[in-house]
Amino acid sequence: MILLANVFDSFVGAFDFILHSREAVTGGAQVGGPAYIWPFARTQLEVSAVALGGALAVALPIGLVLGHLGKGEYFAVGFGNAGRAVPEIAVVFLFAALAGIGLVNVAVALGILGLPPILTNTFVAMRQVDRTAVDAAEGVGMRPWEVILRVELPLAAPTIMAGIRTAAINIFATATIASFVGLSTLGDLITGRNVYGDDGVVAGAIVIALLAAAIEVALAGVQWLVTPRGVKLQRATRSA
Amino acid sequence: MIAPVANGVLATDAANRCAPGLPESFCHQHEVTGCVGGNGLFCFDWAADNFDRYVGPFFRHLEIVAISVVAGFAIALALAVLSHRHRALVPPVLGATGVLYTIPSVAFFFLLLPITGFGLATAVIPLSAYTLQIIYRNTLVGLANVPPDAKDAGLGMGMSENQLMWRVELPLAAPEVIAGLRIATVSTVAIATLAFLAGAGGLGQPLYEQLGFKTNIIIVGVLTIAMALFLDLIVVLAQRFITPWRRARPG
Amino acid sequence: MSGDATNGAAEAAQALSVAFRKATKVYPGADRPAVNELEVEVPAGEICVFVGPSGCGKTTAMRMVNRMVEITEGDILVGDRSVRDRSPSDLRREIGYVIQQTGLFPHRMIGDNIATVPRLLGWDHDRVASRVRELMKLISLDADLADRYPSQLSGGQQQRVGVARALAADPGVMLMDEPFGAVDPINRERLQNEFLRLQAEVRKTILFVTHDIDEAIKMGDRVAILREGGILAQYATPAELLMAPADDFVEDFVGADRALKRLALLRVSDIDLWEAPLAYVGQPTAEVRTKLERAEVPHALLVDSERRPLGWLSESDLQNEMVPARPDISPEPVLDRDDVMRDALSDLLQAETMYAPVVDAQRRIDGILSVEIISEFLGSTEALAEEHLAVERPTAE
Repeated sequence: MILLANVFDSFVGAFDFILHSREAVTGGAQVGGPAYIWPFARTQLEVSAVALGGALAVALPIGLVLGHLGKGEYFAVGFGNAGRAVPEIAVVFLFAALAGIGLVNVAVALGILGLPPILTNTFVAMRQVDRTAVDAAEGVGMRPWEVILRVELPLAAPTIMAGIRTAAINIFATATIASFVGLSTLGDLITGRNVYGDDGVVAGAIVIALLAAAIEVALAGVQWLVTPRGVKLQRATRSA
Repeated sequence: MIAPVANGVLATDAANRCAPGLPESFCHQHEVTGCVGGNGLFCFDWAADNFDRYVGPFFRHLEIVAISVVAGFAIALALAVLSHRHRALVPPVLGATGVLYTIPSVAFFFLLLPITGFGLATAVIPLSAYTLQIIYRNTLVGLANVPPDAKDAGLGMGMSENQLMWRVELPLAAPEVIAGLRIATVSTVAIATLAFLAGAGGLGQPLYEQLGFKTNIIIVGVLTIAMALFLDLIVVLAQRFITPWRRARPG
Repeated sequence: MSGDATNGAAEAAQALSVAFRKATKVYPGADRPAVNELEVEVPAGEICVFVGPSGCGKTTAMRMVNRMVEITEGDILVGDRSVRDRSPSDLRREIGYVIQQTGLFPHRMIGDNIATVPRLLGWDHDRVASRVRELMKLISLDADLADRYPSQLSGGQQQRVGVARALAADPGVMLMDEPFGAVDPINRERLQNEFLRLQAEVRKTILFVTHDIDEAIKMGDRVAILREGGILAQYATPAELLMAPADDFVEDFVGADRALKRLALLRVSDIDLWEAPLAYVGQPTAEVRTKLERAEVPHALLVDSERRPLGWLSESDLQNEMVPARPDISPEPVLDRDDVMRDALSDLLQAETMYAPVVDAQRRIDGILSVEIISEFLGSTEALAEEHLAVERPTAE
């Protein structure tokens, strides 16, 4: 009972930190409250967005082309498997140690982490597109890039989006620790127990979790929008 | 806040000045000359001398991964076997495991902080939670792919539902289940590098202790990847051992 | 096929009768029953074939015996006990079950597959092992195949394993649902013959489901024709079915070629065959020529030391002093003496040949069958007598 009460207290305190400003543990400055927390969140979202954009720009075309041609399966799938084994923080820290700190550097490091899911999912999605549809498209005289754009991409879109969602969540999650390399993300709150107190730490965790959930939901929405209506109907009748 | 890492331009002074960004204490502990002082890409001598400082964290890391994966596997398997019989369970369980998977590890560790404090539990709970989704999904798929005539024959010969599950369905679903286990294991090794934030140790600890030192980062990176590959190999070998019939070629 | 003759008597004692007492199955939400008040008595040790168009409920009826489908109304007795008497699992361990797709466990070796029910019943290790060996001999499978996996066996071999698996715990009743349906026609014929030979030894009570009326006539001691809606149209011996169909439906289902189907009631071994002019390797050709003069066929049959046919010798073969080792003409089609006449005639016609060697279970030459013999026999008074006997005869062997 006491344990539960303590836990409850901690979360109440954390929510208080999120909603109201208060004095820092170390004294002096005012911390907490939405206005205070927002810059941290914004930095994290920014670097994540840049990273995701970069990863998309690199991995998406490669995945589309390789998938369309049906070549390089070993590489595309192997890259995805290998990517899972890489410890994210080591990559980020190494990058920082080699190239220095700054938003761009960190974004590049994070972008590298986003490459495997996007590349592999895009490749696999393209391979799984109904061959007869592609055949028909080529038969009508579409050029390769038209086939990709008008037929394969829309049909592959749902699975590709799933890969983008995975990449986005990975990137956003790892961006938390960018605070270790000088970027002011929400990781600052989590590691700044001396300044923000226990409330601040838990508050940081809550905000990160909520934002991650929001990103997931938002991208799920995009996935739904991007799924062609015909495919949605197909799925509905199949599972019925 | 943690001291920032040295930026790109480093003092290559090999004499006795500590490269900016490296903690003073660090420089005082070690020979401030040559490779280490200048924070070269990989200092072999230092690595050789100091390798034993990674041994403890390595095995701790292994411990964390083992507990998390085993716990996650057991829970996910049980849930999947239940869901196979009672299909209504599938959407809520899939939803719950998916939600858990979305919570970033760092956040998860610190959300648990008020409940479990710093230590092994705080690291293991989120790590097992992450394995649930993939193992659960894969097990369901594996069970769905069991040839229906084998099930019909099994029941027709007098197996009970339980006997059918354990003697026929699960063994035949093993390939998919183990595929999920592989993915879960490899991912857990990577994510466990953050376990030090939960106060559980692991290979992330030495990484965090000497943040800017490149040799350190590379050693930790290499050890982590090596562990992932090694465990992956073990799981693959386990699969070949458990499923001898898949290798049998038509005579 | 070999097998212990001594076991035959002991196993026959265990065969149980099966009785459908107004057995009915109605699926929830359906407006008509799938099986409608089925009333069939199958004496112990006989093969009863359920046959009919698709949707007639034959498979459903069979599956009601081992409660894979639960009875809605009425009852089914195995031996003299209702199938509702004990739990489904217990019941099923006493009933052999063979399905069309075999349902062999891909993850278990052949030996383990066969041992399934004995193990469920808790037999000890040695007893199981010896039973598996016994069964593999019974179904003519090489003993070292016991360590292979189902995927490594051919379709015909897998079907045999399915049968062995069903026989393993020595059940009193066997249920077989189109067991030879997934096999090509040539192998199907072979499997059917082998199975009938097996049944002659083990004498189980068998419920056999098929959609093929020819198979029903060949395999069944009794045949139950079902019509759509699970209603029994006629339950009789094959001969009765052919000679006295109960109504138009039965007549239609049996087929317009009823007369030809009668050929399925007779076996090659039932009639007198021509003697084969045999030749051995290395024999002086002069001797062979003398034999040929008295023979009814124009060519001599080359056989090995075991009297197994190797081929026909042509004129050029006999030019030499000694009989050559390789004959010019293939011996095919080689007929089995347990073949039904219909299949034998069909093989002859297909090969566009007038005569063929007939061999026994060990592939040794028995005689020569020709189209001439068949037509002579069919027209003779002997044939009519045989047919009438067939009406009385409950078993085919």
